[in-house]
Amino acid sequence: MAKIKARDLCCKKKEELLKQLDDLKVELSQLCAAKVTGGAASKLSKIRVVRKSIAWVLTVVNQTQKENLRKFYKSKKYKPKKTCAMRRKLNKHEENQKTKKQHQKERLYPLWKYKVKA
Amino acid sequence: MAPKEKKEAPAPPKTEAKAKVLKAKRSVLKGVHSHTQKKKIQMSPTFWQPKTLRLRRQPKYPQKRTRNKLDHYAISKFPLTTESAMKKIEDNNTLVFIVDVKANKHQIKQAVKKFYDTDIAKVNILISLGGEKKAYVLLAPDYDALDVANKIGII
Repeated sequence: MAKIKARDLCCKKKEELLKQLDDLKVELSQLCAAKVTGGAASKLSKIRVVRKSIAWVLTVVNQTQKENLRKFYKSKKYKPKKTCAMRRKLNKHEENQKTKKQHQKERLYPLWKYKVKA
Repeated sequence: MAPKEKKEAPAPPKTEAKAKVLKAKRSVLKGVHSHTQKKKIQMSPTFWQPKTLRLRRQPKYPQKRTRNKLDHYAISKFPLTTESAMKKIEDNNTLVFIVDVKANKHQIKQAVKKFYDTDIAKVNILISLGGEKKAYVLLAPDYDALDVANKIGII
């Protein structure tokens, strides 16, 4: 499979891109199964290529979607906006990011709940 | 005939006018909606919030739509090929998958059904010490785990 380039993806329609995304994901799952069973080196090296192609397709899809939304909301008064401060904060996902080590530590010693006799 | 009609014609308007005047007087004295207004007395010791008008949401722009990041493809990561997993395939007609931690049994069932075109009887789950979720997927009796495993390529 050739390396995916954004130039080729830009011309495609959304349904085509999503279909291509599905195919790539199926291929990725097959490659992961091959990795577990000790597959050929060619297959193992292909995993990275497929992962990056999936990323490329998603990027193009989301970029075109955002561009179209921007065009749509350009002349309107009520754009999807929160407040200035909210836009600058870390979003929920970023705040909850932990290293694997921290995650393991927290898992070992969770907050205990005690029962108290009334 | 004519004089009688004449007599009746002025009479009703007069009575009507009189009735109107009386009505106006009554409304001035008692207020217009007096018969519907009841004096509200607090009968119970608790005060409950009165029911107010609740409007539906009419957003000026639609809410942010995030795509489903745990779709069928992201659920099952890979099948296991350890010795005990192999034993399960042969003896118990089950396949063993490593699965995303956020997936639940229903989602795993749908994902495996979709991918490997099989019917599933039961899914058992455990979270291993390494933090990975392991799913033991028991296939329906008319499907053979060995065949499916061959198709996937893990035999």
